[in-house]
Formats: sequence, structure tokens, C-alpha cells
Amino acid sequence: MKKRLSLMLVTLLAFGSILAACGGEETASTDNTPSTETTTPDTSGEAAEETGEAGTDSESAIGLTEAEDVTTGNETALARTDSAIIGTVAPQGIFNPLFHQTSYDFYVDYLIFPSLTKVKTDGTYENDLADDIKISDDNKTYTFHIRDDANYSDGTPVKASDYLFTMKLYMDASYDGQSDPLSWNVVGADEYNKGTATDISGVKVIDDKTVEVTVSDYDAMTQVNLGGIAPLSEAYYGANYKQGEIASVKEFNTKPMGAGPYKLTKYAAGQEVDFEANENYYDGAPKIPKLIYKVTTDTTNLAMLQNGESDLDNITVTEDNVEELKAAGFLDVNILKNNGYGYVAMNNKNPMFADVKVRQALTYGLNRAEVVEAAYGPYAEVINIPQSDVSWAYTSDNIDPYDYDIEKAKSLLDEAGWVEGSDGIREKDGKKFEVNFSATADNPVVDALIPIMTQNYEELGVKLVVETLDFNAIMEKKDRGDYDMFFAAWGLTPDPDSTVYITDGAQNNSGYSNPKVDELYKKGKKELDIEKRKAIYAEAYQLINADAPEILMYQRTNMLGINGRLDGWDISPYKDFPLSLHQVEIAQ
Amino acid sequence: MSQYIIRRLLQMIPTLIGISIIVFAISQLVPGDYITATQNPNLTAERIAQLRALYGLDLPPVQQYFVWAKNMLVGDLGQSLQHQMPVTEVINTYVWNSFIIAFFSFIFSWIIAAFVGVFSAQFQYSFFDKVVTLLVFLLMSLPSFFIGLLAIKYFALDMKLLPTGGMTTAGLNATGWAYIKDVGLHMFMPVVVMTTLSVGGLTRYFRTGMLEVIRQDYIRTARAKGLKERTVIFKHAFRNALLPAITLLGFELPGLFGGAMILERVFNWPGIGQIYLASLNLRDYPLMLGFTMFLAVLTLLGNLISDVLYGVADPRIRLK
Repeated sequence: MKKRLSLMLVTLLAFGSILAACGGEETASTDNTPSTETTTPDTSGEAAEETGEAGTDSESAIGLTEAEDVTTGNETALARTDSAIIGTVAPQGIFNPLFHQTSYDFYVDYLIFPSLTKVKTDGTYENDLADDIKISDDNKTYTFHIRDDANYSDGTPVKASDYLFTMKLYMDASYDGQSDPLSWNVVGADEYNKGTATDISGVKVIDDKTVEVTVSDYDAMTQVNLGGIAPLSEAYYGANYKQGEIASVKEFNTKPMGAGPYKLTKYAAGQEVDFEANENYYDGAPKIPKLIYKVTTDTTNLAMLQNGESDLDNITVTEDNVEELKAAGFLDVNILKNNGYGYVAMNNKNPMFADVKVRQALTYGLNRAEVVEAAYGPYAEVINIPQSDVSWAYTSDNIDPYDYDIEKAKSLLDEAGWVEGSDGIREKDGKKFEVNFSATADNPVVDALIPIMTQNYEELGVKLVVETLDFNAIMEKKDRGDYDMFFAAWGLTPDPDSTVYITDGAQNNSGYSNPKVDELYKKGKKELDIEKRKAIYAEAYQLINADAPEILMYQRTNMLGINGRLDGWDISPYKDFPLSLHQVEIAQ
Repeated sequence: MSQYIIRRLLQMIPTLIGISIIVFAISQLVPGDYITATQNPNLTAERIAQLRALYGLDLPPVQQYFVWAKNMLVGDLGQSLQHQMPVTEVINTYVWNSFIIAFFSFIFSWIIAAFVGVFSAQFQYSFFDKVVTLLVFLLMSLPSFFIGLLAIKYFALDMKLLPTGGMTTAGLNATGWAYIKDVGLHMFMPVVVMTTLSVGGLTRYFRTGMLEVIRQDYIRTARAKGLKERTVIFKHAFRNALLPAITLLGFELPGLFGGAMILERVFNWPGIGQIYLASLNLRDYPLMLGFTMFLAVLTLLGNLISDVLYGVADPRIRLK
């Protein structure tokens, strides 16, 4: 009797736990049903049309959807009449523009440290802390005038000497931040770095608010680099600084003080960062008196936006998440193009990929649209040049879209001398066409890519061998040149200058080399006129597009969910949300 | 006794040297360093070389080891590359957050496990014992992230009884009792989940320990004397059953400070576990190595403490 009872208990409890598990799943799957229902009835014949439709849908999927009704169901957030809560991944507590490394530390620093110039929504720059910038005729001397009403949050004025002080920190031999200040070519920087001079001869303080910077050589980045400096108060940061010992400056990392719209009042590592409006801010005191950056995780950040616990957060772009955000009714949903792109690198130095026809064939022969659709749905687009389509340097003229075309791919491989062997795998000079793909684990794109690529290439007569490795291990193989293919992604800066496609460039992962492209990139960097630069980069992108040094995959999107009670944003892929926070107001 | 402790402490030195060599060697064998792991697209080759030199990554491994070991001797674990501050400061910032939830769940799980273990031993094969055994195995087999997320869904999102995560309410700036209450509310779910997960295994230890003792002759004698069952169990049996648990107690010490990687992520708790995991992913070797050594020291100390306590508690064992 006893035995039977316990057996019953076991089955009951086990059954109970299964039921509980089902319950959990059910709530998740109800959201899925509408979308799956629309796709399942389609037969294979309509599949091509399907993807075509998805392509047109994606135009409308990206962009801003405004909140419908700010008041309904939004009580928790509306109760915060003098503050806003911004959800973010934990910053690392490096609140100093010289040393910060993650975007989340940037989010904090944007509010505290204004630089001389700032980025505009279109990726070009405008004056911020400086109100006048004069450039000499030879483009080598830059005179910045700092706004007369610019004061730090402690009330002291922002001085030209602070700019010099900040420049010294950058040029210091012990500076170990992520910037590369010696590449700015400031006159006298090397001497200061080596310790043979105690001043930077190229940076002259003309008067309290004017500073003149001379460079030995200029390019399109010079003004961006020099204007991108946010002056640090020498009185505050420089108390214990000695040339060659920058450590004392880092001690202020968690106690930042700058001239920006907000001042930091509290930092609790891994939890929150609190700000208060800086009454001394030169553009007028911000309209939201108190600001809180709260650390959230991707498992709960959506729910926190929905129940009003936070006012803004980055949410992973999936169809479900977009639906949920829009369903709330009081949330603005802003889907922005990501500044970056994903690509499959091919080792151009490997004889197999040295032939441009092979690289083109592998691009034509891969159904990239299907991969991107599988990985991101309508929230990413296939790209054909390594540039964001919101950049001023973007072009679609004379760009081959490399639409999936297996026949063309086959004939290109035939032309390249790779002919089908008895086992269906192509061969050339007795060597089988076998490609080793180094894949990272747990990457949604790789998970979507591998099965499609394997199948597509099998049809092409190319055997794909996949090995799963840690990302760092792949990078090490790349450095040794011991790889065939891997998937990775690049971030893009607002300026199109880059070293990814120039011969032996620091970021040139695929070993691609085309002297013409090198020359164009060099010319583009040296040219200051934006219209002329557009033409130069367009030509470079056309060459890269024809050479197909790597299989360019997609540009994805990011999504911001913002409570509709906050108005006045000016956000673009280049201009992060903190840059317009000072002008945002709380709707009453 | 003090001689024994001193000898054990001295023995720790070669052990630690051995550990440091092994840990360092492993870190050298793992591909990649901080620069390859962060993949900053704006770095030039010259700057990469400069940074490697500033980080000390350009030295030969043997030399790197001696620099690291020498600094450690004077208490300097180096600078965390990711946090741009001394490793000791990083550990100090986050470890106490992990400690408080680990400490409370440690207390609760030991108390619960002791009582449940004793009762299920006393009434072996009873209905109660079977239910407990079943529950224990059920709890032990649950993945932590799963019940963590489930708890958040029910208690925080649906019922709105508890906060969804974090350690304090954003912008509350509470002090004194209000602060303690706030943190208490936030730590409720992580502590409950952690306790649930660890209580299962512990209950089995206590049950087994008790079962062994309860069959001893002196228990029978005590019962034969006509002592009350409660006295027999708690005064005579329980104390002796606790002896094997002392060994376990020593192992808990590193656990108190080690942080819970998965649970801290689920509950967004600002603990050291998350930070340690990130240091591995980003190849922030000074932090990773520093914290590993910290845990190694705690493990050795925990061993020593449990040996000493064993000697104190059990007169049959003499430490020499």
C-alpha cells in the first residue's frame, strides 16, 4: 500500500511539473500564433513571392512609430513628474571620455562632457562647446573659440588652458585609453609623449577662451579628432597629475565633473547612475530635473517599459518584441539602422579564394536574403557595399546586388577552372573545393547561415566543413592567416574612413588588396570637401563590390522603446539618445 | 594547536605558488587577449602595439608571470583593463553584494536542511520522508535560470509583489531602515531561489549523517534509559550527526564570496559573479587571475578552518 501511494505521488508531481511547464510555454506561444498562421498555409510555389513581399514590408518595418495614447495604462510612469528612468546595460564606471570603452559609459559621458563639436543626425558635425572654428588656408592650423558662457558644473569657466591640459593627458606616455592621439599629428605631441618636452608646442593658448592647434599633416579626420575633445577641468582633474603618470586622473573616473547638461549625483556600480540638471549649462538648464540610468537585463527590460518602471530602453529587435511594444499604446517605438554590418570573411590570400571569380561565385551562390530573413526577419537588410545606407557616403549606383543566382555561380566556377568531380564536388588541379568555416557558438546569424550555406554550396559543388570555435580562437587563426571562412561583424564610424579594405590595414581581416582601392581610400581621407569625398568613396565601394573580397551579409537594426510622455528627441543612428536628452521635456 | 595552524598556513605557500603557475599558464594558453576580444574597429596597428606594451602583454610569458607574482606579494593584483581601476577595488565593489545574498541563503539552507534531514532520518521510509526525498531531487534537478525567470514572471510581473531585479529601487536614495527594507525586498527572490537550489543536496547529507548515528549503540542506550525522544535526537544524536557537516562548512567559504554567475544575471544583481564571467569573455586577465587567486586562498583557508573545527568538535581527532 505504502509503495503504491508513493508511486502515485511521484506520477502526480511529475505530471504537475509538466503541466506547469506547458502553462509557461502557452503564454509565450499565443503571441506567436498570428505570425505562424500566416506563413504556414503557403505552399512551396509561393515561397519566392513570400520573400519578395517580406522585402517590401521591411521598408515600413524600420523607423519611428509614435505612441497612440500616452495616458492609458501609463500611470506609474506619469507619476514621475520630475524625473525619467532610462534602462541600460551596466556601465563599467569609467566616466571619463579619455578612458571609456563601452557605449554604456558613453551614455553617461555624453551628459557630462560636451566636446567642441558634436555629431549631427546625418553623421556630419556641428559646433557645440566651441562657437567659432577657424581653419587656416593650408588646413594645418585650427583655432577654436570656446563659448563665453560655458562653465563647469562647479561654476568655474571652461578655459582654453583646459583644452591644452586634456591634450597633454591624451599625449601622455602612460595614456592607455582606446583613442590613438599620436595619429592626430599634433605638432609637438611626440616630444611630449617621449618626455623630451614639458609642453605641446602645437597647442597654443591665445586667451582664456581661444586655443590654436597646429598639425604637421592634415586629413578629413583632423577636425573631427581635434573637435571631438571634451576639455577636462585642469583645476579638478590635474591636481596630482605629473607628466608620464596619468593614474591620478583615473581616480576621478567615478566622480566626473564637466560642463554638460547634467551632473552625476550618485553611482552605484552595477545598479544605477543618478543625475541632476546642471543649472549652469550653456544651452539652458535641461527640462528634466532628475535623470536615472537604471541597469536592466534583456529578460525584463521589455516588461519594465510596459509597466512604466522605465521610460526608455534598448530592446532586442524581434517581431514579438515589436508587437508587444506597439500593443502597449503609450510607447514610441524607434527602430534605427545599426551602424555596422555583418560579413563572411574569405581568406583572400588562400589560393582557393585568390581568384575573384570564385569569390563572386560564392556570393552569387549563397541565398543571403533567406539567411537574413531567418536571422532577423524584416528587421535587417542585405547589403552589397560595406557602408550603412544612412551614411552620406552610401551609394547604390553601379553596385551589383549579387542576387541569388545558382546558375551564374556555377558558370563562374567553371570559368575559374573548378570542374565537378565524380562525387559532385568541384576540383581543380586534383584539389577538392572544400571550405572550412569557423563558426562561433550561440550567434543567431551563424545558426541561420550554416544550414542554408551548406545546402546552397552543396548544390554549387562546394563542400562546407563547419567547426565551432570561441571567437578569440577564430581571431587568432585569422591573425595567423590559417582559415578559409568565418562570420563576423564590424561597427561603422560616422566618417567612411577605414582600414578594413586597404592593403595590410590594421582591420583588414580577409587579406584583401587592391592598389586602386588603397589609393582611393587615401585620397578620400585627404579630401575635405564632402561632395568630392562622396565621389571618391562611391568609386571605392564599386571596386570593392566587384572584387567581392568578402560576402557582405546584412545591416541590422536596433530598437528603442520610449515612453510617449517624453517629447523632443532628436535621434538618428549617428546621434545616440543621450545627445538630445537635454532638450527632452515631460509632457503634462 | 597553534603549531598545527602555523604549519598548515606555511604549507599553503607552495600550494598557492603551484596554483598561480597553473592558472597563469592556462590564461596564456587560451587564445586571444583583451585587444582581440574587444575588437575595437578604430585601433591602428601602432596603437595596438602601444596598448599591448602599456598593458604589459608584449613581454614573454615567463616574465609576465614574475611581474604579476611580484606585484601580488605586495598586495597589488594589477589594474583591471575593463574597469580601469585596481583589481582589488573592483572585487571590493562587487563582492559584498554577492556576499549578502550568499550569506542569507547559506543560513537558510543550512537551517532548513538540518531540520528536514533530521526528521526524514528519524522517520525513515515514512510518508514524510518520501515526500521530502522526492522534493529534494526535484529541486536539485531544476535549472537555476529557469526557476529564476519563472519566479520573476509570477511574483514580479504578474502579481507585482516583488521588484523585477536589481538591488535597490532606482532613484529612491533611501538610508537607514528604509534602505535595509528596500534591499531586503530586492534580495528576497534571489535568496529564495538560491536556498531552494542548495537545500536539496544538503538535506541528503544531514539525512545520511543522522541515519548513521541513530543506529549507534549509545542511542539505543539513551532510549533504553527512558529519555524523551526529543532529547535523544537533539542532544545525543544531532550533535554527532553534525560532525561530517563541518567538512562541508569549510567548502562553503569560497562559495560565499564567489558569486552566482547565472542567478546574478537573471536577477540583475550587481554581484561579482557577473563581473568574473565578463572578465573571462573579454580576456581581462588581471581581473580574472586576481579573482581566481582570491578564491584559491579562500578555498585553502576554508579547508584549514574545517580541519581545525573538526578537531575542536570531535575529541577523537587530535591535530598535531
